[in-house]
Amino acid sequence: MKALGSSGWKGPVKFRMPTAENLVPIRLDIQSEGQRYKDAFTWNPSDPDNEVVVFAKRTVKDLKLPSAFITQIAQSIQSQLSDFRAFEGQDMYTGEKIIPIKLDLRVNHTLIKDQFLWDLNNFESDPEEFARTLCKDLGVEDPEVGPAVAFAIREQLYEIAIQSVASARESRLSKKGRRGSDHGSASKASGLSMDLVKLFSFKSSVVRKRKDLDVYEPVVDLLTSEEVDALEAREERHAR
Amino acid sequence: MEAIDSSAELELYTIPAQSSWFLWDDIHEIERREFEEFFSESSITRTPKVYKEYRDFIINKFREDTSRRLTFTSIRKFLVGDVNLLQKVFLFLDKWGLINFSPSLNDNDTLSSVDNAKVEQGTPAGIRVTATPNSLRPITAPPLVEQRTVSGVKLPPLTSYSDVFSDSKKPDDVLLCGHCAERCDSAFYQHNKSIVNICEKCFKNGSYGGENNAADDFKLVGDSAAALWTEEETLLLLESVLKHGDDWELIAQSVSTKSRLDCISKLIELPFGEFLMGSTSGRLSSAVPTEDEDTEQVKTDVQEHEETETREENEDEDGPPAKRKRVALISDSDSSLMKQVATMASKVGPSVATAAAKAAIAALCDEASCPKEIFDTGDYTDSTVDRADGDKDTEMEEQREEKDGPQGLPVALRIRASVATALGAAAAQAKILADQEEREMEDLAATVIDQQLKKVQSKLKFLDQLELIMDAEEEVIEGGKETILQERISVLQCAFRSGVTKRWDHTYVK
Repeated sequence: MKALGSSGWKGPVKFRMPTAENLVPIRLDIQSEGQRYKDAFTWNPSDPDNEVVVFAKRTVKDLKLPSAFITQIAQSIQSQLSDFRAFEGQDMYTGEKIIPIKLDLRVNHTLIKDQFLWDLNNFESDPEEFARTLCKDLGVEDPEVGPAVAFAIREQLYEIAIQSVASARESRLSKKGRRGSDHGSASKASGLSMDLVKLFSFKSSVVRKRKDLDVYEPVVDLLTSEEVDALEAREERHAR
Repeated sequence: MEAIDSSAELELYTIPAQSSWFLWDDIHEIERREFEEFFSESSITRTPKVYKEYRDFIINKFREDTSRRLTFTSIRKFLVGDVNLLQKVFLFLDKWGLINFSPSLNDNDTLSSVDNAKVEQGTPAGIRVTATPNSLRPITAPPLVEQRTVSGVKLPPLTSYSDVFSDSKKPDDVLLCGHCAERCDSAFYQHNKSIVNICEKCFKNGSYGGENNAADDFKLVGDSAAALWTEEETLLLLESVLKHGDDWELIAQSVSTKSRLDCISKLIELPFGEFLMGSTSGRLSSAVPTEDEDTEQVKTDVQEHEETETREENEDEDGPPAKRKRVALISDSDSSLMKQVATMASKVGPSVATAAAKAAIAALCDEASCPKEIFDTGDYTDSTVDRADGDKDTEMEEQREEKDGPQGLPVALRIRASVATALGAAAAQAKILADQEEREMEDLAATVIDQQLKKVQSKLKFLDQLELIMDAEEEVIEGGKETILQERISVLQCAFRSGVTKRWDHTYVK
């Protein structure tokens, strides 16, 4: 076996969100009786299940929705939670995997475009903390932007975690005994992770090259309400 | 790096004394402990070299301009690596004062973060509850909110974005009603889907023109009529809030000239408005007891007058936030005005209440020029105190009328007397509180003066000590001078003895 001790490959760990807090991103988009309810938030999967119904009832009451929404909301949340739990028993590879995370979202009047690197192996990472710092440093005043950014990050992490479970399963099925290089190919096969060896070698510098700077710089735009309306109209058309 | 000399090449950077372990060329033990992951050789992305590069880059970036506060976001784009790890390094350097160490930089953050708390009205747009699949108008639930705009433009509270921006869309255009083609003066209704505007009159008449038949599709724009609140409207608002609690639709209907948003904003502006909302929203589904409604109707005109009086007095008392118990009084009690007044009176002792009652009666009788004796029933003062126990007002009325028998005082007069009593009692209480406050203030002033004196005294002591030290040093210096003089003399003596010429002597002396 190759002495790739420096690659930081650990044994497979049980599936969970690779963040400090194991929170699941939940997205809701329910349409009934002429009303449409869209929402996105994070849920703690270790909460007892009856909390889901309580939450659905509270939401319907606060937003004055028709009570048909209660069951639909609860069902949607529960199905997403059970999807998450289905993965929980399985292994995922958590080698050194630094992936670029892209943000491209609009929250009310604020448009955020950003790209940065995230280490999937860093189980102390905190998307909420990152989002807070981002909003504070860029002077974003809308308090909804932070949670939306954190949610977007979590969603992407979730996707990639699921993919790594799938790839872990594949490589387990393939021949054993090629663990070392297999891990390398697994991380590359996802197409997302960076070529760490090249980046962090002795010769190269950790300072980013000038040509890449624009890509990795956060951009925040404040839109006027006309632009917001135009964008919303376009989104509605796409949704149909 | 505490540079000791400030020559042209080296610049002086200040870092806190506890960070003096920092060395530019090396990685200290503290850093090793903090960032074990870099030094455990378990990964290729985390090596000491990488750590040093991150660290040096961040510090250098800060030193390019030490007057501005370096933010994590501004440097993160420059460095390759996990952003969480980078943030950890950044926070570490920030904590130890190796970057962003400067008094002006550190204060701004805490101040600005407190001021800019902004909350939106209604549900966040991330949660979209729309009336129809096509309509974009959100149905909002009204929480308590405030909004401050950065530009310094003063907007009334609870302005939604559509209010702000739709006004600014057509500031100069003359608004013509889409239906009757007259000018829309103050307020007009704007259709959601099209750009049809109709004036208030047309909207009220129900003639929307063409196929725009649904009243829901119109929203009110323009708020010149909404800015003024007359006494009657305020009174209506208060009553309807107490009656309907949280249901703003009904309240807006009762206060017919004001929209829902205006009602909410006005209620918040009132000093105790928030407490009313807080107390009533807790009883969303409870039905208002009908007895209160009857009693209120019986005494409407008198009550209106008294209510405005009470309200004014409440406003005075509610001003300073320290008088919490007075404010809590209003919100805790039931909806009936008389009960509130009675509980106020009951807060003072019975003797005070009696005295207040007597004084109030005297004043009232002088006013109404009727003899004092009509009030002279022994039960009168007791009954006012009894009322404080929360009996129903109608019952009390009946009881008192029975007791008085043939005297048959008019109800209105009696009520005025009792309310005046209560107000007198409340005034007495207020005076006591005011005295207390004054005494507290004096106490505090005395403490402050004490502290200042102590400060001055300690400074004087310090100066005295300095003087002593200076004196001692002076002596030492004197001694030094003497010795130097002695040495000179001895040197000269030696020089003379060895036969040095006169010329040398002169130059030396000079």
